[in-house]
Amino acid sequence: MSADRLLLTLSDSSDSSDGHSRIEILNTGGYRSDGRRQYELRTISIDLSPQGSGADGSASLTHGLTQVNVCVFGPREAKMRSQTYHDRANVNIEVAIAAFSASERRKRGRGDKRILELSQTLKSTFEPVIQTSLYPRSQIDIYIQVLQQDGGLLQACVNATTLALANAGIPTYDFVCAVTGGVHSTSPLLDLTLLEENDLPNVTVAVMPRSGKITLVSMETRLHVDRFEEIFRLAGEAGKVIHREMRKAVKDRTEQLVASMQSVGRPSTGADVGDNEY
Amino acid sequence: MRPPSPSIPEKEFLFSALKQGLRLDGREFFETRPVTLTFGPELGWVECSLGQTRVLAQVDAKMIKPPPERPFEGVISIHSEISPMASSEFELGRPSEEEVTITRMLDKVIRRSDVVDKESLCILAGQRVWHLRLNVHCLSDSGNLLDCACLAGIVALKHFRRPDVEVIGEEVTVHHPTSRAPIPLSLHHNLYCFTFAFFSDTSIHPVLDPNHLEQRLNGGLISIALNAHRELCVVQKSGGVPLEPADVLRIVNVAVQKAKDLDVIVESRLREDWEGRKVEVR
Amino acid sequence: MTIVLPGERAPARHVNLKLGPGLFQNSNASTSTGRAAPSIFATRAGTLNHSSNGSKWWIESNARRYVPAAQESVIGVVVQKQGEGFRLDIGTAHSANLDGLAFEGATKRNKPNLKVGSLIYGRISLAHKDMEPELECFDAQSRKSEGFGELKGGFLVRCSLRLCRQLLDPKYFLLPLLGSLFPLEIAVGLNGRVWISSQDAKRTIAIAQAIEAADPDAQGMDEDGIRTLLEDLGRK
Repeated sequence: MSADRLLLTLSDSSDSSDGHSRIEILNTGGYRSDGRRQYELRTISIDLSPQGSGADGSASLTHGLTQVNVCVFGPREAKMRSQTYHDRANVNIEVAIAAFSASERRKRGRGDKRILELSQTLKSTFEPVIQTSLYPRSQIDIYIQVLQQDGGLLQACVNATTLALANAGIPTYDFVCAVTGGVHSTSPLLDLTLLEENDLPNVTVAVMPRSGKITLVSMETRLHVDRFEEIFRLAGEAGKVIHREMRKAVKDRTEQLVASMQSVGRPSTGADVGDNEY
Repeated sequence: MRPPSPSIPEKEFLFSALKQGLRLDGREFFETRPVTLTFGPELGWVECSLGQTRVLAQVDAKMIKPPPERPFEGVISIHSEISPMASSEFELGRPSEEEVTITRMLDKVIRRSDVVDKESLCILAGQRVWHLRLNVHCLSDSGNLLDCACLAGIVALKHFRRPDVEVIGEEVTVHHPTSRAPIPLSLHHNLYCFTFAFFSDTSIHPVLDPNHLEQRLNGGLISIALNAHRELCVVQKSGGVPLEPADVLRIVNVAVQKAKDLDVIVESRLREDWEGRKVEVR
Repeated sequence: MTIVLPGERAPARHVNLKLGPGLFQNSNASTSTGRAAPSIFATRAGTLNHSSNGSKWWIESNARRYVPAAQESVIGVVVQKQGEGFRLDIGTAHSANLDGLAFEGATKRNKPNLKVGSLIYGRISLAHKDMEPELECFDAQSRKSEGFGELKGGFLVRCSLRLCRQLLDPKYFLLPLLGSLFPLEIAVGLNGRVWISSQDAKRTIAIAQAIEAADPDAQGMDEDGIRTLLEDLGRK
């Protein structure tokens, strides 16, 4: 009964211009609009098989309905000598959002400020994580293609990039795992869909799971300081859960590769996959 | 043209001084440079400087027909650019990284967080609304252009007065500022942006309002935009050296305190300037 | 102490006239009506100075961008290792070249190994407007280092060109004042860069602030002002 009243008051507000009926974010039974519970994350599917085109590493990741593909090239010779650093590699990230990825078709050009900001954020997130000092005067190119958007875009890009780098064999200090969090009146929610992102204050947090340190925080909506603290800590912990999934995917892939190497008749190198604590 | 990186002695000296708790210009770690606000002859024109960093912001308004999907709200557009006179690394026409950061932050701080009450900008629903244009020009870069630009933008909006409008039926009369006193914009809250720089050596505490050298040698920046009522609007830590969650929360709390102090300074400066002006009302 | 503006005539006249920076001789060979001497014009705004016997004239003005001139000592930052030598940034239109052998006691086997980003105090050996400037790290006559070479530690302060020239003038108050308060090492580059090194970071910061305050471009503080500034810093 109280849920009906909630629906009634929400539909009175005049700012919803697209005409669809208001869906409640969290009902009294504790279920969200897509049937998840408060702290439940969406289904993650990871595909690390090569995507043709000779990329050195690639990954395709989905969080529920958000799908992102990443290809990594490098370290390779830089296209422009002026962009190189004499003591480390230059990390170059380019993001392309497909016009069909959102519910309304919208073509975004290269110079779109939101896309530029996204690339910059990702670049400064991964520059300290990749061991760039091993490859001076070279360039590592990371190309991100967004195929479907249903909330958590930055989160998906960060996770997919981490996987693609691991797939390419580029040495990194740790994984970077990102997750979004939001607050609905006083209840925190995790891994928001597009609907929830548009309605609730939300924050994207990326952590390095081994040390628990935070490497990226991005919040663009108004939130009280006390609420922020709560959701910030929660998102940090949730990052570790995502790490488990990512680690499993990388491990499975590596085991697959090792198995296929051994079946060709090469002598095994003596180091077992399962030995590594990583 | 990228300016040359700082030399090794400069780098080493900065880090060793910071480890000892000393900043190069004698400030405390959480002390900003003195804020100077200079108001121009017109309303809505302000030059904000944080030490040697200077940003100019200007607001003007004109009436337009509103877009059909939002007939009850006014329109705000922001144009920001970094003039090549700010530093030799900025070129006109090609947005540098810093320019993208400033544009996006101004967008988040002023447009997306609803600083201006857009419905108050409506004159005649569906026919006439106010279109506010905010121009931000960065004149001199001596570190932390971002905070300076956001402050200039917000103060310009607070300083601006729009002409009084009278609506009788379908007829709209705009009163000249000399016949009826112009009225201020209706702002929900004041947002202030604070940028902290931290360094690759995690034993060095983050510093607020980095100056030129500190910004060039930073290991990461975290920007927090919030109002004086403990509400955060933007928290942006774009990568850089990873921090402990407790450190991030500590920085947020420092920003909360600074926002209150800055609010007092801005309000008193605006009051001072308003008393010094004479707005003719015949 | 006359102040001249660009285009004004300067009353410089001598048998062996030598013109310094800011003065330009316009030889009017076209008018043959018996004008006594070709006219000297000022090309910069500043004060007109001359030597005691009137043979050398120049304009004292201020600027921030350095134009290289031979035999001047400058501070450069290594930006690239190039072949047998290094490329340095000295704040001029072109980078300067420093040969690997241009150090005291350097042989083909024993060259200094400078990293990118090191500070070098050198003397400009070649400064021609059509060529890139060249530096050497030893004194011209004695071929000994005499303080030139790599500057380790310390801190770099940037200032206007006028202040650098003033700092090298023994009659200027700043360096003797600073030296009387604490021991310090200082290298003044005529390209607007000053390297300072002191016992600890606090003193170095105080010296850097004193130099920046005395800069005629900034506040142009006089001796009393600097003394008060240093006392305030010492108390903090």
